[in-house]
Amino acid sequence: MISVIPTAFLFFAAALVLLALPKKGILRPLLLLATPIIAAAWVWNSGLGNFAQIEFFGLELEFMRLDRLSRVFVMVFCLAAFLGNLYAWHVRDTVQQVAALLYAGSAIGAVLAGDMITLFFYWEGTAIASVFLIWARGTEGAYWTGMRYLIIQIGSGVILLAGVVLWYHDTGSIAFERMTLGSLATWLIFLSFGIKCAFPLLHNWLQDSYPAATVTGTVILSAFTTKLAVYALARGFAGTEILIYIGTVMTLFPIFFAEIENDLRRVLAYSLNNQLGFMVVGIGIGTEMALNGTASHAFAHILYKALLFMSVGAVLFRTGTSKASELGGLYRTMPLTATFCLVGAASISAFPLFSGFVTKSLILDQAAGAHYELVWLALVFASAGVLSHSGIKIPFFTFFAHDSGKRPAEAPTHMLWAMGITAFLCIFIGVFPDTLYAILPYDVDYAPYTVGHVVGQLQLLLFALLAFVVVYRTGIHPPEVRQINLDFDWTYRKAAPSVIRVVAAFVAHVYGGILTFLTNRVNNTMNRLYRSHGPEGRMARNWPTGAMVLSIALLLGATLLVNFAG
Amino acid sequence: MAGSRKDDPDKFPPLGQKMMWLEKPGSVAKVVIGLVLACALVVLADFFYEKHGHFAEEEVEGFFAMFGFVMFTLLVLAARGLRVLVGEREDYYGKKAIDQEESYPEDQIEIKDYDDD
Repeated sequence: MISVIPTAFLFFAAALVLLALPKKGILRPLLLLATPIIAAAWVWNSGLGNFAQIEFFGLELEFMRLDRLSRVFVMVFCLAAFLGNLYAWHVRDTVQQVAALLYAGSAIGAVLAGDMITLFFYWEGTAIASVFLIWARGTEGAYWTGMRYLIIQIGSGVILLAGVVLWYHDTGSIAFERMTLGSLATWLIFLSFGIKCAFPLLHNWLQDSYPAATVTGTVILSAFTTKLAVYALARGFAGTEILIYIGTVMTLFPIFFAEIENDLRRVLAYSLNNQLGFMVVGIGIGTEMALNGTASHAFAHILYKALLFMSVGAVLFRTGTSKASELGGLYRTMPLTATFCLVGAASISAFPLFSGFVTKSLILDQAAGAHYELVWLALVFASAGVLSHSGIKIPFFTFFAHDSGKRPAEAPTHMLWAMGITAFLCIFIGVFPDTLYAILPYDVDYAPYTVGHVVGQLQLLLFALLAFVVVYRTGIHPPEVRQINLDFDWTYRKAAPSVIRVVAAFVAHVYGGILTFLTNRVNNTMNRLYRSHGPEGRMARNWPTGAMVLSIALLLGATLLVNFAG
Repeated sequence: MAGSRKDDPDKFPPLGQKMMWLEKPGSVAKVVIGLVLACALVVLADFFYEKHGHFAEEEVEGFFAMFGFVMFTLLVLAARGLRVLVGEREDYYGKKAIDQEESYPEDQIEIKDYDDD
């Protein structure tokens, strides 16, 4: 029976309470801030264990599997919810407030789910709650983007359910434990996780939808869905070798798209995709230290990614645009936002003393230790790529570079606080990595700050910076221009509809042709019958009645003759 | 609105005024020189400690420096090529995407200049 109330229910209860509070005033924002704090304290103090199990139609549902792997994700989800809600302090839109609570609650519920039926419900919960953060933008474009997002997210859940049903059929269990790829059931579950984790070719929902959400919605979106998928993969498929290669491709292809993308929030979405790649590689390697790397990188990443989305969001909030071609030179009047953005940029680029350095090096070290040399080289290259789009492009083209002439006011105070706290945490983790290492799934035996690590990383980053100076000064760097770039989603947003249109036109044409042919045939037949049998037809001529008597007499006479002759 | 008035740097936030050091002639050159010096320093440092790499290339002095510089440049060149292949106008997807929207819906945000009150 339920001995502890599941943490997710706290968020759902808060969403109900929120509706009862006045729309104006500070009660609602306070509730939005208090909920994740209470949840985090609750989880932290409840100790590890398996709470809240219930029987449901003969199935054992587990709502609270709190072990070291799930705990670190719950803690960072609470932290992200707190920071996101602080950033959204000014928002008075009930829909967004409720969505933020339900979304965070669902993500936490999914992480704590000990069985795959519970996982499925929360999995869909995150999809449904989060789409309102996109729709809340209120434009036609956001509506359609939200629909595309919802179809893919719900689709991921349906595939998960299909996999779980098959898994139950095969094994008789719904427990969410480590699986081995092989059966259709495991492949379906893997595919479902892969969609939410934005595997290559399944990734476009991410770059499509995150730039379309509201200013604050994107910050909240960036934390949960994909990292829930990372958690699910770490739980279910740790040590699955194919993940190493999937992850490597994930780190690589987004850096090229991010380089030429104009909408900075979409640049960050590509960058998010690239960071997920590092985590997926860690899961694929699957050693305890590699999983530590994945969990810690997810933790650090949620913070610096939120920070970057916050700083670009603050610019969007003050200028109405997040397009690099329209921005530049904003550091003069938004110096604090610019500074926080630089901290986020340094963290994601993994400069020593910033959070990315102490987490990403765990994964790279494990890849090298397992002698995946090409993978390791690709990850080092991808690290230089991260510096390029998130480390340089985001802060440089927003706050420096050519002066756009825009002189926006500094971000509102609550946004500055949210960014300031997040920036502080990014540096704190970088300087005191042991505080983060202490809450990882396994005991950490790793020293990030060796001379070799620091010098190697500084060489990579500083020379990449130098290369940037050279290509920027010589004009080789692609200029920021107002355009979009087609990605794989072109296939279902443009190609497939066009093909369907052509096929539909062809089918309609053929159908029309056959129909016309048949109608003509029927018409012709009817005309002919009409001509012969109609009122004026030969068969309907007015013969005298006597003719009939005569013909009957002839018929009878013939019968008589035949009888006599027979 | 933005850019239509004359700047009044005295009204910029104090931190912004300090950061405007960047606009003085020669400042950017100083930053670049600083970067070059730092680059030289981290390559020199490679000669003064014992390496424990997993792979042979890690033992080469300045490997990461070369790798970073070359790969970054290749990345930028490749991205230029990619843009030719996949670049499209902003309204390519029409009204079913947010890309053709001229501005974020202004009733949800507070567009404001530094000297607006």
